Amino acid sequence: MKHDPFDPLETDPEALARHAHAMRRNVVRMVGVLGQGYVQQGLGAADLFACLFFAEMRLRAAEAQWPDRDRFLLSTAHNSALFHAALAQRRLIDPARLDTYCVDGSQLEVNVSQRLGPLVEATCGSLGQGVSVGLGMALAGRRRGAPYRVYVVLGDGEMQEGQVWEAAMAAGSMGVANLCVIVDLNFMQVEGHTDRVLKQEPVADKWASFNWHVESVDGHDIGALCAALARARAATDKPTAIVATTLVGKGVAFLEGQLGHNMKLSPQDTAAALQALDAQAEVMA
Amino acid sequence: MNTVTAPNRAEDIKVGDFTSRGAVPRVYGDALLEAARADARIVCLSADLTPATETDGFRDELPARFHNFGIAEANMMGAAGGMAGCGEMPFVHTFCVFATRRPFDQVAMQIAYPKANVKIVGFLPGLTTLLGVSHQAIEDIALMRALPNMAIVEPSGTDQIRAAVRAAAAHDGPVYLRMQRAAAPLPADFRERGLVIGRGEVRREGGDAVVFACGAMVQIALDAAAQLAARGRQVSVVNMHTIKPLDADMVVARALATGVVVTAENHSIIGGLGSAVAETLAEAGVGAKFARVGIRDTFAEGGSTPYLFEKYGLSAANLVATLDRLWGTPHGRR
Repeated sequence: MKHDPFDPLETDPEALARHAHAMRRNVVRMVGVLGQGYVQQGLGAADLFACLFFAEMRLRAAEAQWPDRDRFLLSTAHNSALFHAALAQRRLIDPARLDTYCVDGSQLEVNVSQRLGPLVEATCGSLGQGVSVGLGMALAGRRRGAPYRVYVVLGDGEMQEGQVWEAAMAAGSMGVANLCVIVDLNFMQVEGHTDRVLKQEPVADKWASFNWHVESVDGHDIGALCAALARARAATDKPTAIVATTLVGKGVAFLEGQLGHNMKLSPQDTAAALQALDAQAEVMA
Repeated sequence: MNTVTAPNRAEDIKVGDFTSRGAVPRVYGDALLEAARADARIVCLSADLTPATETDGFRDELPARFHNFGIAEANMMGAAGGMAGCGEMPFVHTFCVFATRRPFDQVAMQIAYPKANVKIVGFLPGLTTLLGVSHQAIEDIALMRALPNMAIVEPSGTDQIRAAVRAAAAHDGPVYLRMQRAAAPLPADFRERGLVIGRGEVRREGGDAVVFACGAMVQIALDAAAQLAARGRQVSVVNMHTIKPLDADMVVARALATGVVVTAENHSIIGGLGSAVAETLAEAGVGAKFARVGIRDTFAEGGSTPYLFEKYGLSAANLVATLDRLWGTPHGRR
């Protein structure tokens, strides 16, 4: 499939890292204004989002409803600061709109919803639903011979929802190769470490046993992520699960590894986090 | 030692249809297939109840457009929403309970909220199954009514199934089709009946009372009206095949014309047609004598349909007694 010349795919890992960095900065800024939010998940998954939105997914900034666009589903709809930051970074929305995040009346809600328009393929947030919707979209594309692929970002805590495994069993049985789930394995849920709630390992084996092609990667290794996404695209008989291990708070030393689902972020911490990110930016430039 | 002797290859196993009814036609399944031949968007989803939902004909004729999701209704509803988002028109099939009570959140978030063009087709409405409380949908209308954007259609009998399928397919948005399979071979004088979503169908005229009924209760209401006519009481019977959006104009006009209103549904008296009519009358400021015939806020049990209908008051006798009680009561008191 020929790609839109106005939306080139980024292949330079350093450029992708710069996109991730810019999104991290917006995540901190957006949550900082509110004083509380999903900052840890946003920092943790920024590298995943950079790879998906800039290196992997075929999207058109000027044509949100392009029928052949790759579909993106955020099953963890609360990771909204990062999602909206990614849309802005990719120029799918005007970056100025990030200032309306969680403002009453804004379409940029704390749980991403279809009020934002066609950029949001489904309203998740009630956890465990994204893979099913993605499966439906993948089946529709397969039947119609459409070239698009479907990407679902799934949280690890979400795997406690039974519906995830209904979808895993169906997609594996149906051999839906145009479906790719990225498990954001950040070991964090509302009550803290996932293993303190329910033990989830072996995660990769679970997906493999449901007849999925599985890639286990470091969720901050941009080269490895892009390679895994490329192998997923090459798979022809199975859906792919990319199990990406991430570190919550990644990129801001004093936030890294802090388990806070909906975490308070004081003005002082916000300023310190932005300062730390800006110092990195000077190194990256 | 493994002593299992069951065949282990899918093709070795013969599938019996435990719901097979011999010469009884598949009126729903044929209607869906007919609609699908004319509209390439229509796809058919099943959850291990393909023969029981009369979709085996679809499966055999249009296999690329048929998806069996197994016994996993939550996933099926979510996938249906995703398909609709990509231009398909899924008709999703299972029993009413497993289409509403079980995957309610998925229906709400992936079908009702985005106004997905999904038709949820539930079978075994109310007490029409001997499979007991697990399979008896007595609150499915209440659940679906509470969802914004959801239309609810229950055809009144075999003669209205085809029209209901056509109307659902023509309706842009989510529809809950409450479907009861044909139970007997079609009579020689079989004639189909039309259906316009949102418009009540007057089946009998009479000035002494009006019965708003849906589904299987329409014929029972007509039977009751015939019995009452023999005694000189004239009762209107309106087939409210669309429970949502309700034909409020018809409800108000008929209530004002007769002053005596009874609803009849194969469903709980809470949240279904009776509630919808009561809300409409109260908000319109219409004072009428009023009673609901339905399952009176109780679970039922496994049993034959005639037995259960009689036991739980879904009968012409109970309708007659209810109307007699209203006629014998001064307005404003019970």
